[in-house]
Amino acid sequence: MKGGKYVKRFILTFLVLSLGVAVSIGTVAVAQEKVTITVQDYFDPAGGMAKFIDEMAVEFERNHPEVKINHVYIPFAQLLPTILQQSLTRTVPELTMADNPWVPQLIKAGTYKDITDQVKEWGWENWEDFFKGHRELTSANDRIYAFQITTNNLALFYRKGLLEKAGIANPPETWQELKEQSQKIKEALDIYGFAFCATASEEGTWQFEPFLWSNGGSLLELDQPEAIEALQFLTEMVVAGYTPRDIVNVSGQGDVTQWFMNAEVAMMVNGNWEFGWHLTEDVMQQLGDVAVATLPVPQKGMRPVVPFGGECFGISGNIDPAKFDLAWEFLKILGSSDTMLRANIKHGGLPTRASAAGKILAEKPILKPFLDQAQYALPRPLVGGIDKYPDISSTVWVAVQKALTEMATPEEALKNAASAIREIFSAEEYEMYKNMARELLAEARGK
Amino acid sequence: MFFPLGITSPGGRERSSSFSMKTTSHVGYFFIVPALVYVLFFGVYPLIYNFILSLKEVTLITYMSGTSPWVGLANYWQTIKDVVFQRTFTNTLLFTSLSLAFQFLIGFFLAILFNRSFPLKGLLQSLIMIPWVLPIIVSGSFFRWFFSDRGMVNGFLLAWDFIDKPIPWITSQKLPIFAVTLANIWLGIPFNFVLLYTGLRAIPIELFESADIDGANWWQRIAFITFPVLRPVIITTLTLGCIFTVKVFDLVWIITQGGPGDVSHLLSTLSYSWAFNKFHFGRASSVLVIMLSLVVSLTVLLNSIRSEGE
Repeated sequence: MKGGKYVKRFILTFLVLSLGVAVSIGTVAVAQEKVTITVQDYFDPAGGMAKFIDEMAVEFERNHPEVKINHVYIPFAQLLPTILQQSLTRTVPELTMADNPWVPQLIKAGTYKDITDQVKEWGWENWEDFFKGHRELTSANDRIYAFQITTNNLALFYRKGLLEKAGIANPPETWQELKEQSQKIKEALDIYGFAFCATASEEGTWQFEPFLWSNGGSLLELDQPEAIEALQFLTEMVVAGYTPRDIVNVSGQGDVTQWFMNAEVAMMVNGNWEFGWHLTEDVMQQLGDVAVATLPVPQKGMRPVVPFGGECFGISGNIDPAKFDLAWEFLKILGSSDTMLRANIKHGGLPTRASAAGKILAEKPILKPFLDQAQYALPRPLVGGIDKYPDISSTVWVAVQKALTEMATPEEALKNAASAIREIFSAEEYEMYKNMARELLAEARGK
Repeated sequence: MFFPLGITSPGGRERSSSFSMKTTSHVGYFFIVPALVYVLFFGVYPLIYNFILSLKEVTLITYMSGTSPWVGLANYWQTIKDVVFQRTFTNTLLFTSLSLAFQFLIGFFLAILFNRSFPLKGLLQSLIMIPWVLPIIVSGSFFRWFFSDRGMVNGFLLAWDFIDKPIPWITSQKLPIFAVTLANIWLGIPFNFVLLYTGLRAIPIELFESADIDGANWWQRIAFITFPVLRPVIITTLTLGCIFTVKVFDLVWIITQGGPGDVSHLLSTLSYSWAFNKFHFGRASSVLVIMLSLVVSLTVLLNSIRSEGE
């Protein structure tokens, strides 16, 4: 029975040890009996927004000594799968951030708690201060579920110095000018005039949308001439060699900024977050000639219609009722005009409330083109089939890539995409979403 | 991770004979509990769950609310009908067979080369291991730049006037799958080299010496000594290589993300893209089940070749 003795001894030791561990964990837990509010997001821990939230957390803990704010970082690609798992196990953290295109789906799935009554108590004028697109995105059936605390959109970055060397005084205002200037730049400097990002991800669709929408095209009617013209224009830019074909294989929009910084391209489509990421103040000084203009439009006098980006925070649908008031307290701070202004100055983002947007311009005048465009910027899901938007978006970027690499003509690529998109919906749904997109687009284009 | 090769714990049989069966059998069960729990939770459960998902229509919303309807084999039917899937399946076969063939051949000849002594052998041997040591994110990013329109390959070819405009390695319809295969071959050489080299070292030198005396040439030594003696090692190498290659994800995701225009997907990347870009979890799971069947059938095939020889 030698073996049996060892086993007994092993089990005994194991039990004693685990009991000891359990007791000590218990003591520690009793010692710091605090209410924990977890804030979960994908903001780079070294970046402005994450640091700002940390500061807010410290301040909040000072005012509420019984509370511990636990700020958790999840990388972008992991956040949605994480929220999915948490929803299944009903462990979604008290305050959960999501990228804005996911929000309508998360609201439908019950991830976020209805905060309409709290907002009413806070003051309805606070809610009305948010720009219309952000209000529409974070609410459903007249109930409010989240606040968008930062936004961004796309504009044309250009290097004044390079344009001047090519004999160009002002940045392009129309597609035609963009093409002509790119040609001049290519001839004079032997570099690319223009770049955008056409990668196989949401970023690819998001950068195509300004061209599509400014020309009056819709994600739900890609087989129409307005849409085909837009892709035709971008394809011509690549085929003519004014835009590098490598744009289909960049790892993201940041790669394009690297080319821009290296003076490999003179103009690029990119977002205002770049001022908090690559184009920080010291880099801007070093380069010395970076400027921004609103995106070129098909014809003079048209409005550039861009999608808006940015992140939303809401309270978890499975929150412990005892913690709800504290979570709302913290969310209210994040959504207040003053906090939003300070956060976005650090983050390089744009505020989503009119009162804060007015003030940020004084601090950062370079944001003017973005703020001008923000007034008419569109929420992607609302003009792209609401909860079917991710599906539509991935169909679109595939079509864009096919055209840019000349696997298919823009017409073929978009006609295929259009019929694939139609199959996602029932006939009724399709009509409804199509008309919804038409209305929002017409409003944004001012027509 | 499963070991479909039927690996048994070494010495298992001997130990049971030295103890009396009566006492050790219960103790034995106790000791396999951790492994059993691990396999059940991280192997069997996900497999079954994945299979169940593949029989349901699961979207983001129905997944969260737990109300996904059963649809039988509809996901499989839709998947198989899909042109993108068909191309992806061909891609996976092409990627796997080319990778295995070239990794093995190159690894084998390197092993033969290193089986004799020459100056700087140690240094060169460690250089060969570099692909294995580098994190895939590094080698993947490197290859993306290497193959891009303005990358190193095109740079060289243009500089030496071999071509007058860049070859679209990863920006065209036909070439991207070959570009990623090439990258994967490079990555897989050290693995093949190490296994085959170790196998080669174990062949008694006397066999070659006596063959030399009998007047065998280089080819005859390879064909009649090295190959037959190495046979079990070769088949194990190929089987493991096959499993590793069919499930490659990261390399392709970093270099092309399955693009441009969906032309360079492997089953793994397509499944990920359907699940997390389109939120078609059901169809994505069906792709994984098909991928798993492919791995298992290829492994069974190679295993049967092995047992035939034994």
